[in-house]
Amino acid sequence: MSHEIFMPALSSTMTEGKIVEWLKNPGDKVERGESVLVVESDKADMDVESFQDGYLAAVLMPAGSTAPVGETIGLIVENEDEIASVQEQNKGNQTEVSTSDQLELVSNKIEEKSVVQTENIKKEEVVLKSEKPAPSFKSDQISAATSNVSSRIIASPRAKKLASQMGVDLAKVHGSGPHGRIQADDILKANGQPVSIPWIGESGSPASIPSVNVKVESKPETSGNSFGKPGETVQFNTLQKAVNKNMESSLDVPCFRVGYSIETDKLDNFYKKVKQNGVTMTALLVKAVAKILKKHPQVNSSFSENGISYPENINIAVAVAMEDGGLITPVLKEPCNSDLFELSREWKDLVKRSRSKQLEPDEYSTGTFTLSNLGMFGVDRFDAILPPGTGAILAIASSKPTVVANSDGSISVKKIMQVNLTADHRVIYGADGASFLKDLAFLIENEPETLVS
Amino acid sequence: MVNRTAIIKQPDKISFFNDVYKLQKQYQEALILDDSNPNFIWIGEHQLCYTLGKGSNYDNLLFSLNDDKYDVFKIDRGGEVTCHMPGQLVTYLVLDLKSFNKDLNWYLRKIEEIIIKILKFFNVDCHSREGFTGVWIGNKKIASIGIGCKRWITINGFSINLDCELENFNKIIPCGIENCHMANMIDYNKNLNIEEVKKIVKKIIQEEFNFEFVSK
Repeated sequence: MSHEIFMPALSSTMTEGKIVEWLKNPGDKVERGESVLVVESDKADMDVESFQDGYLAAVLMPAGSTAPVGETIGLIVENEDEIASVQEQNKGNQTEVSTSDQLELVSNKIEEKSVVQTENIKKEEVVLKSEKPAPSFKSDQISAATSNVSSRIIASPRAKKLASQMGVDLAKVHGSGPHGRIQADDILKANGQPVSIPWIGESGSPASIPSVNVKVESKPETSGNSFGKPGETVQFNTLQKAVNKNMESSLDVPCFRVGYSIETDKLDNFYKKVKQNGVTMTALLVKAVAKILKKHPQVNSSFSENGISYPENINIAVAVAMEDGGLITPVLKEPCNSDLFELSREWKDLVKRSRSKQLEPDEYSTGTFTLSNLGMFGVDRFDAILPPGTGAILAIASSKPTVVANSDGSISVKKIMQVNLTADHRVIYGADGASFLKDLAFLIENEPETLVS
Repeated sequence: MVNRTAIIKQPDKISFFNDVYKLQKQYQEALILDDSNPNFIWIGEHQLCYTLGKGSNYDNLLFSLNDDKYDVFKIDRGGEVTCHMPGQLVTYLVLDLKSFNKDLNWYLRKIEEIIIKILKFFNVDCHSREGFTGVWIGNKKIASIGIGCKRWITINGFSINLDCELENFNKIIPCGIENCHMANMIDYNKNLNIEEVKKIVKKIIQEEFNFEFVSK
């Protein structure tokens, strides 16, 4: 059987890498731990090693080409007699391989000229090159080559995991990804499940709740999350472990909760107007909270061994659930310094990069106050757990039409959104939390248009 | 296991590139075989030579490779062609990123930070530029970085132009950036002393990576 060599991630922020050089030619024997190729990202080179003993059967991406992280770039087989069949299946590549053979010859000849001291260095010292690196690869050649392969299955790691969890036979799945690669969505389709949009905590618009309600009620069975099959125990992934640790540390914090019902009719009208300019509800809420935190520095403070710590900045973290488990809290830094449109763009970018796990540590670990919004699910209230290192978190529920008794004795229907503040009582007291919520409610109920700048 | 032991070498005389490269390779191999072996730091100067990374474009060399006047080496590092010579301080770090952070982007940014700290110590104002790894004074490059890595054990490092013949860079397109001007630290601090810079490089590297220096 053949094993794939993937483009490795040399850093958490890397999206693609360049193949600098194949150290082995197709047909060469490789040992576990032996370097097979060199990959470059920025100014750093990394040797990529074989994970098992065997033979390099095929080079799918030649030297000089660039491939996304996780892409299959080569194939290793366990037995020598498998080489021919794998090479046959990847015929489109053979010409490229011979080109690199030629280059090898050229550089060998040159080496004879060079004055070198050791055998080892000799191979790495090059004194002349008349040709450029191997010509760029034609992508249609690859797709033609790989889509004809019936015995070899290319699937993303997540697709493989899902397939094993759902008991889907990968061989029977049609891959919709590049070069026929099987994606997670293909597995879901094959399993008869509708393809779900990752339930990232964006949208969160009180204004759109009625329609979301309909969705939730009509097919509640599609929204449930499960990482394993019934009867199974599935290991926590890294992110889930990190969340567990953070949640457990909250048990040492004496928290209290304080709630408020906020009318959102004006906010919803304002949101309808600015939505077409790309403004998101998250940006609106973040901006509102940041503006009020400026007036209530106590609610932005946190406990430290030396006393009450007042951060220099107001950085709002917003909880985002990850599709494959765990959650992450991308941070909108100093929202008061950006206008609503910048803030919305920034937020969309953060969400996009959280999905592909490309956030820098300071983009998810520098929050001074956290927002958690489950409004898009239609929940009427919930309370959130305080993340470590901060003083407070605000849980935001959906906005619902509610019969309200007015002070003049009349009744009316207003959209009401419940928010619930969880705070560390060592630094934030009930009165601090309550007056923060009162001012937040006043801003949202009366002056939402001031959130623009 | 976090291994913070390191051997440091700071020769006074100019070193041949090949000798030091071999030495780095030996320490890298030793760490690959046994991660309790020490990390290795080398701070010194080379004779005039040009080096290329594995993926370097030869078009950036502006002389013929047949020209015996120039020593050219192709080595395990990323990036395009660069030039070493007396008056340029070269620092190599063979370190096990498994004891730090298995992230090459983190490592490159860390090295930039270290170079900036070194220059700031001598009152030279400098900065990094997004997308252009290295350290810059305005639009002139003062320090270059190139890293190789095998099983998260690094090789190579960075060079800072202290007081060198910048004309030597005219024979190449440094780092593959057209119209890239190079700078010398001495032009920004007239009292610069190379021995003093070496001491500060050692000090800052020790602080930043929390090394415990050991003798072999």
